[in-house]
Amino acid sequence: MFKLLVVEDDRELNKTVCTYLGQNGYDALGCLGADEAYDAMYGGEVFDLIISDIMMPGTDGFEFAKTVRELDEDIPILFMTARDDFASKQRGFRAGIDDYMVKPVDLDELLLRIEALLRRSKIAHARRIEIGSLILDADEHTAYVDGEEVPLTVREFNIVYKLLSYPKKTFTRSQLMDEFWDGDTTSGLRTVDVYITKLRSKFAGCEDFEIVTVHGLGYKAVLK
Amino acid sequence: MKQVRWLYLLRRYLLFFAIVTFVISCSMMLFLNTVTRATGIEFTEEYVSDAAKATAVNILLLSALLTVIDALRRYFFVTRPVRRIVKAAEQMASGDFSTRVPEMYGIDGFDEIARCFNALAEELSGTETLRTDFIANVSHELKTPLAVIQNYGTMLQKPGLSEEKRIEYAKAVTDASRRLASLITNILKLNKLENQKIFPAGERYDLGEQLSECLLGFEEAWEAKNLDMEIELAEDVCATADRELLSLVWNNLFSNAIKFTDEGGKVSITLTADAEWAVVCVSDTGCGMSPEVGRHIFEKFYQGDSSRATQGNGLGLALVKRVIDLTGAEINVTSQPGVGSTFTVRLRREADGEV
Repeated sequence: MFKLLVVEDDRELNKTVCTYLGQNGYDALGCLGADEAYDAMYGGEVFDLIISDIMMPGTDGFEFAKTVRELDEDIPILFMTARDDFASKQRGFRAGIDDYMVKPVDLDELLLRIEALLRRSKIAHARRIEIGSLILDADEHTAYVDGEEVPLTVREFNIVYKLLSYPKKTFTRSQLMDEFWDGDTTSGLRTVDVYITKLRSKFAGCEDFEIVTVHGLGYKAVLK
Repeated sequence: MKQVRWLYLLRRYLLFFAIVTFVISCSMMLFLNTVTRATGIEFTEEYVSDAAKATAVNILLLSALLTVIDALRRYFFVTRPVRRIVKAAEQMASGDFSTRVPEMYGIDGFDEIARCFNALAEELSGTETLRTDFIANVSHELKTPLAVIQNYGTMLQKPGLSEEKRIEYAKAVTDASRRLASLITNILKLNKLENQKIFPAGERYDLGEQLSECLLGFEEAWEAKNLDMEIELAEDVCATADRELLSLVWNNLFSNAIKFTDEGGKVSITLTADAEWAVVCVSDTGCGMSPEVGRHIFEKFYQGDSSRATQGNGLGLALVKRVIDLTGAEINVTSQPGVGSTFTVRLRREADGEV
């Protein structure tokens, strides 16, 4: 069972979030401030994910996130805050958070995001994705279907790895490209289409996922 | 006050007296000198003393007459119009915006002031109506979901509620609070936009990419409604603007198009560009609206559907309009009831025509 830490100074909100997470199979611990959270974290408990508010008495969320990030590079941190201005988001992500939600938070959406963050953190941790007969290994940049290696170029591998890290999420061409091409737009966004065509034919034998085109906007990987 | 007025009158009288005396003395001396030179008759004191006294009285009377005429002129052409304008201004200061200054024909200057004043009053009364309407609308929109939450909260406290009912009530509470939340977010955003004076300088970015990213946020919505999405975005069209502000525009337009289109309908989004403008068109095959409705949709809390049956709070397009004005872009809408609507946003491209 995943252990989550909820840092939120409003008692009622903290309680409802923790209860809801509890109802959905997570073990959530509520803390009313950063100091309490530090105590909980270094009292020996290991958490899989942190949900934190920004505006709290004493240490604020930015500071808290920064401190946590300095001590633990991998733990996913999600900000849940009333502040919806870009500056706060920027400050948050620079402090090392992984996701940002604006209050009032839709609890179902919170669950989806936690799930995605945890999956992502697991993938980041293991550096490999296993879906049915398919195995992608990020260290070796290799893909196996039914134990047989599928020859991929580095770019092809990066695209399919990204798509499968977030199944069902649609990426625009430039989102798929940006990460690996260093903004080299001269190659044109249509190059991505070429890579996708190649990937589709290379993985034609794999029954576990397919790459779907979304209205000319981008691509997503759908698991079967 | 009375004394001051009398002193004032006396001063004017003395002034007129001095002028009249000066003018008459000068003309008299000129006249008598000429007569003396021509005829050789010397005017000694005996000759003129009676005439001089009569002239003096004449001057006194003439000055009095001039003072009276001047006072009357002042009253009709200055005091009365000023009094009317002051009265109207006082009424407006006390909150009566329906008051107007009566027309003053031919009184130079004042007729213009009166016209300006009336235009100002017209504008103010319009703003005032809007403000009262705005408050009325805000309270209505805020209180309705609150009332729903309160009522269902009360009903939920009833013991022995069936599981089915409980879920139904709780769902109603969640929906109402969600509506309330989006309304408050919009009010705050709009308020911020209306009061913000300094805006960050625009950055240059790929418009098509931004549209794609915004559109993808609605993927689930259009899939749920099984909409036919027709998307054609020209490549490499850049805009220079505040990215965050413009995303408000796209999100609102897309959300409306999807919201008002019935299941199985069609929504099309195109991005085209010429040398001067980047044009984004968002069309739907939704319920459309009459030209009358079309004229008002950018106003706060205006909702084409007066029954307010469709979700939304009537602030989305007001936000859009505000952003469009701030970015110096243009928006217009064409619509036909029952056929659909098309919103067209035109963004000016770089003046140097650089792509």
